[in-house]
Amino acid sequence: MFMQQMINGFSLGSMYALIAIGYTMVYGVLRLINFAHGDIMMVGGFLGFFGVAVLELPFLAAVLLAIVGSALLGMASDRIAYRPLRSAPKISLLITAIGVSFFLENAFNVFFGGVPRAFPVPSVLEDILEFGGLTIPVSALIVPILTAMLLAIILWVLFKTKYGMAIRALAFDVDTVNLMGIDANRIITIVFGMGSALAAVGGIFWVVNYPSVDPMMGVLVGLKAFAAAVVGGIGSVGGAVLGGLIIGFTEVVVIAFFPELGGYKDAFAFIFLILILLFKPTGILGIDFEKSRF
Amino acid sequence: MRKLSVLAASALLLASSSFAKEINVGVVMSMSGPLAAYGQTCNEGIEFAHSLQPKLKNGDTVKLVLIDTKGDKVESANATTRLISSDKVVGIIGELTSTNTAQVIAIADKKEIPVIAPVATNDKLTEGKKFANRVCFTDSFQGAVVANYAAKDLKLKTAVVVVDQAQVYSLGLAKAFKDAFSAAGGKIVKEIKVSSGDKDFKAVVSQIKAANPDFMFLPMYHPEVSMIARQAKQIGLNKPMFSGDGVANQTFIDLGGDAVEGYMFTDFFDYGAPPTERSKEFIKAYAAKTGKQEVNSFVALGADAYNLMVDAMNRCANPEDNICVNNEIKKTKGFEGVSGVISMDELGNSTRSAVIKVVQNAKAVYKATVNP
Amino acid sequence: MTVKKDQWINLSFVFGVIGFIGIANSFFDEYTIRILNNIAIFTILAVSYNLINGVTGQFSLEPNGFVAIGAYVTALLLVSPEAKQYQYAIVDPYPFVLSLHANFVVALVLSGFFATCLALVLSFPVFRVRGDYLAIVTLGFGFIIKIFAINYPEVTNGSLGLNDIPEFSNLYWTGGIAIIAVITVLNIVNSKFGRAMKAVRDDEDAAIAMGVNTFKAKTFAFCTSAFFEGVGGGLLAALLTSISPDLFDFFFTFQLLIIIVLGGLGSTTGAIVGTILVMGGSEWMRFLDEPMKFFGYTTPAMPGLRMVVFSLILIFIMLFAREGIMGKKELKDLFKGRKRSAK
Repeated sequence: MFMQQMINGFSLGSMYALIAIGYTMVYGVLRLINFAHGDIMMVGGFLGFFGVAVLELPFLAAVLLAIVGSALLGMASDRIAYRPLRSAPKISLLITAIGVSFFLENAFNVFFGGVPRAFPVPSVLEDILEFGGLTIPVSALIVPILTAMLLAIILWVLFKTKYGMAIRALAFDVDTVNLMGIDANRIITIVFGMGSALAAVGGIFWVVNYPSVDPMMGVLVGLKAFAAAVVGGIGSVGGAVLGGLIIGFTEVVVIAFFPELGGYKDAFAFIFLILILLFKPTGILGIDFEKSRF
Repeated sequence: MRKLSVLAASALLLASSSFAKEINVGVVMSMSGPLAAYGQTCNEGIEFAHSLQPKLKNGDTVKLVLIDTKGDKVESANATTRLISSDKVVGIIGELTSTNTAQVIAIADKKEIPVIAPVATNDKLTEGKKFANRVCFTDSFQGAVVANYAAKDLKLKTAVVVVDQAQVYSLGLAKAFKDAFSAAGGKIVKEIKVSSGDKDFKAVVSQIKAANPDFMFLPMYHPEVSMIARQAKQIGLNKPMFSGDGVANQTFIDLGGDAVEGYMFTDFFDYGAPPTERSKEFIKAYAAKTGKQEVNSFVALGADAYNLMVDAMNRCANPEDNICVNNEIKKTKGFEGVSGVISMDELGNSTRSAVIKVVQNAKAVYKATVNP
Repeated sequence: MTVKKDQWINLSFVFGVIGFIGIANSFFDEYTIRILNNIAIFTILAVSYNLINGVTGQFSLEPNGFVAIGAYVTALLLVSPEAKQYQYAIVDPYPFVLSLHANFVVALVLSGFFATCLALVLSFPVFRVRGDYLAIVTLGFGFIIKIFAINYPEVTNGSLGLNDIPEFSNLYWTGGIAIIAVITVLNIVNSKFGRAMKAVRDDEDAAIAMGVNTFKAKTFAFCTSAFFEGVGGGLLAALLTSISPDLFDFFFTFQLLIIIVLGGLGSTTGAIVGTILVMGGSEWMRFLDEPMKFFGYTTPAMPGLRMVVFSLILIFIMLFAREGIMGKKELKDLFKGRKRSAK
């Protein structure tokens, strides 16, 4: 039973982690909480659904469609809605982000209807593996493995490539990066693209594990992912993953071992958030942006 | 000259009195917002019934005034007030959920305007109110139907109930089932609480498996039930599963896939076995217009809400007399509706049959009728 | 001389509103009165929301949470014990819940008070740290309040909500409290606290350097917001006569956000103008949800299109007309001509 729940926890935690990485990267370079990020995850799920159910593409092609589509959407939202506000007061940017989030949710609601649609999961992923008394669906096992691989790739990009260095430099100071001859706007767009692609992968995992898509599915997941990013340390990719895992595990453990508290499981992400802000505001693995500015 | 003007005046008077009037009937429904799909389906029934029967016995035309509540309570209140004070409606059909309908009734009752709710099943809706009516059955009836069917027909003795804390429908139906099942000699071995919006029920199904009941009762809506069914199948939990009308739609079967084969649920009627003549005609006309053979229960109930309103108006000498209309609604007995035979009582509740369906080969198949 | 003129303008406006309420109650039909009540309540919410968002520049998403608290406190205090006994259908209520009873004024004050207490509790972790966490924390807070309301049926009757709340709210109450709220907020904005808040908005670093206690300024704004939002929630409960957890969702906050952005972040008059426009405009925009005719081509009904348009309007304003209608100006500034710039 315990091992079973551990695997469930890993699975759920990894999905939160994938989305949290996108939040943390965008916040790192722009100090923007991109409220629309959770909805990008929803778009990824819908594009996957569209690819498999409507266009009848093979599964991997649909996944590719979802990733590319979401990345483009993320980059477009930066270009259209956020870039013009680079020098505006922060609050304008946040309000616009909420506007984009609301727009995505309602646009999909109008065009696809609010009724959840069934997602045809490829049968290989629906297989159940059984060993040692554990029943594990393949879909639940794949998530942590792929997440670890993606995390490795992201970390490699951030620390071993020139683009990655530019991104880390941006997190320090946007103006200096421009002075150094790097086009900060282009790097920011790439960050949006990467973050959105990861959110799309999270979205696909989500619909594979819980085979239905509806326009509001990204809302709560997105919020928890942001809470995870803060808990783990905002601005730190490793922190985002850590935060995601912590929140995922807590949710699973709460329902498994304290079923009476089941209704409150969504509250835990925010309780952790408040606790971290009280005791260690920079998060578990976080760096203090304010201090590092001077 | 005088004679001519008198003749002209009286001609005009005659003409205007034989000029059929337009009488307004209000419709408050969630046409947008989270429950849009259900609201639109229900409204489809209301409008279609209206197209089949737009006039009253005395030649007056019924005009439907539809206001979208967006599924929101404040809007429901505004809509109801507007219909009563601006549009001067004789009666109101709506809303969708029991919570919003309660809001509509709270306002309409004070103004003595009869309300007919098509699908709001919560027991308490009509209590203490004089102008509240409904054409669907109540949660206590539905709970008893399932409980008795399980205990007596299927001889199942123990059950686990999963309740959705966030939905009034679920709370009401679960309570009714528990009371009826215990009364029928059954035992509820466990009650598990969830919240709508959840997708991950692995812990829930593990607990059910550990409790090992004879069957599971899931009085919730299809998004959650379909996920539970799937995840139950994943861990090899293969017990009979039952739900109320919250899953009585094709989306449930689509979402559940293989996992809901053999799933049983209660519904208001079965379009494959039309219970009345009117039902047969409605289904035929509906298929002719929309090309869809299947008539969803919400469509049928919406139609019946309209038909009952018109029927009551026809029985009144003055169809604009809202008090009379309300009394006639409550006096209705043996009304042949699209969804079945409906009899109303003093409290505004309806006595009608329920059907039990089972999912076979990805289709909902009729299994049994339970009469009150 | 100009100070007196400002006072005259404001005073005449207040008297105008009071006179209007008196006439409205006698002459307008029920529906219009209901809409006016809604406008009054949302005015209270908007001007107080503007205090933290617009005047202090701290992006917060708190209204649905505090309004929920206010609504529930008032409802619990106003519903009679018999009505409670009969309504609580999920589990039996706690005995203290049954004994809760107070008159309308006390209920409203307590609603505001509880909301303020919770705001204080939230202020400590959030405002100590400079950063943008207020938005996410308040958003989460709203969620948690809703979760508590659903999962604590012994107190709140769960998702069934509370019904049979006596209908105390009429134009005198809502309009009167709206006037009080507006006057209070304007007085705060024009006082030294208000200047501190604006300093925090314009340049927090400079404010700290000048010796402004930014934590106090932010907390004061937040708590005042919370107080009036609690009172507004209580008025809403007494207007609707029944409340349930699903009323207080994110869209509630989003509506207020559009209102203050449209009116002009930082302007109390703007908040009032925004409320009238949005509340009136939503009714007008219903046509978007129905089939529309464009040059002979009829589009099918697209319910929900209204929401899409709302969000696009918000983005549009942020991109092209960030100041909203009033910018940072108040009513008195409209009469001033271009000599003085409003700050």
